[in-house]
Amino acid sequence: MNEKEFGYQIRQALNEAAGELDHKTTYRLEQARAAALTRHREPAAAPAWSPALQAAGRHSSEGSRLGWFGGLGLAAPAVALVVGFIAIYQWQQPQAPERISDLAAMDFAVLMDETPIRAYADKGFGILLRGETEDL
Amino acid sequence: MASRQELSDFLAGVERRAFKQAQYAVRDSDAALDIVQDAMMKLAEKYGDRPAGELPLLFTRILQNATYDFFRRQKVRSTWVTLFSALSPGHEDDNVDPLETLEAAPGSPAAESAENQVERSQIVAIIEQEVARLPTRQREAFLMRYWEDMDVAETAAVMGCSQGSVKTHCSRATHALAKALKARGIQL
Repeated sequence: MNEKEFGYQIRQALNEAAGELDHKTTYRLEQARAAALTRHREPAAAPAWSPALQAAGRHSSEGSRLGWFGGLGLAAPAVALVVGFIAIYQWQQPQAPERISDLAAMDFAVLMDETPIRAYADKGFGILLRGETEDL
Repeated sequence: MASRQELSDFLAGVERRAFKQAQYAVRDSDAALDIVQDAMMKLAEKYGDRPAGELPLLFTRILQNATYDFFRRQKVRSTWVTLFSALSPGHEDDNVDPLETLEAAPGSPAAESAENQVERSQIVAIIEQEVARLPTRQREAFLMRYWEDMDVAETAAVMGCSQGSVKTHCSRATHALAKALKARGIQL
């Protein structure tokens, strides 16, 4: 007889022994099982973030209520983001033309001036300008 | 994720074998029941979110750990008893690892049923005794392979050893069991 056949012979005997447990033992095992099951947590009905789309097809009122709140939770940050963008745009809108026209006027004045651009980089020209302003 | 019903069905299917395995290991019905209950609770509480297919391996591992925990507690208790009883004369030092002595001690719960007149019951009881007398690792490997129907890789994973070691344990257990049963007049 090889190891496997021997093992299955022993298995039969052990199954027989396990099947003949006394009532006290089986009762305690049942109690142990019941106690263990009270500690088992059932899987949640659905994750909080997902039912925004899933709940659309649900028929139970609880499911759709969960879906409604879930959808609200998902939509709120997006709405806040859009509102933020609009606020920034509105805030910048009145300032933008003024700033653009100031820059354009400055550029125009520099371009229309007959003084060569290199003169602005010269230290002596700066001193001269300051002297002229003081004289005035 | 295993539902409550799946978990209940699984536990109902394995509880008797689990009890017997714990009983072979600790030789005490009440302690074995406590071990099985601990293992069931731990499985339900900590691994209840696992798929139903993973439960057998997890439960076997948890049961094994619960049995080792029992021996550790027993060892600590016996250490304290030894310390306190050292003052009284005539006591021998019994600070030994229970895992090392399992082979020598006879299994008393099964011995009672061996006294039955029914021949089959006697044979079953003798087989249980001899299984309980196997060294711990050999018995674990043998029962996982041939009673729990686990393959070599699964057994190795639960026992935390190599597949070669599992095969060796099983082979030794088979030979030891066959020899012991033959010596008691049982030929399978």
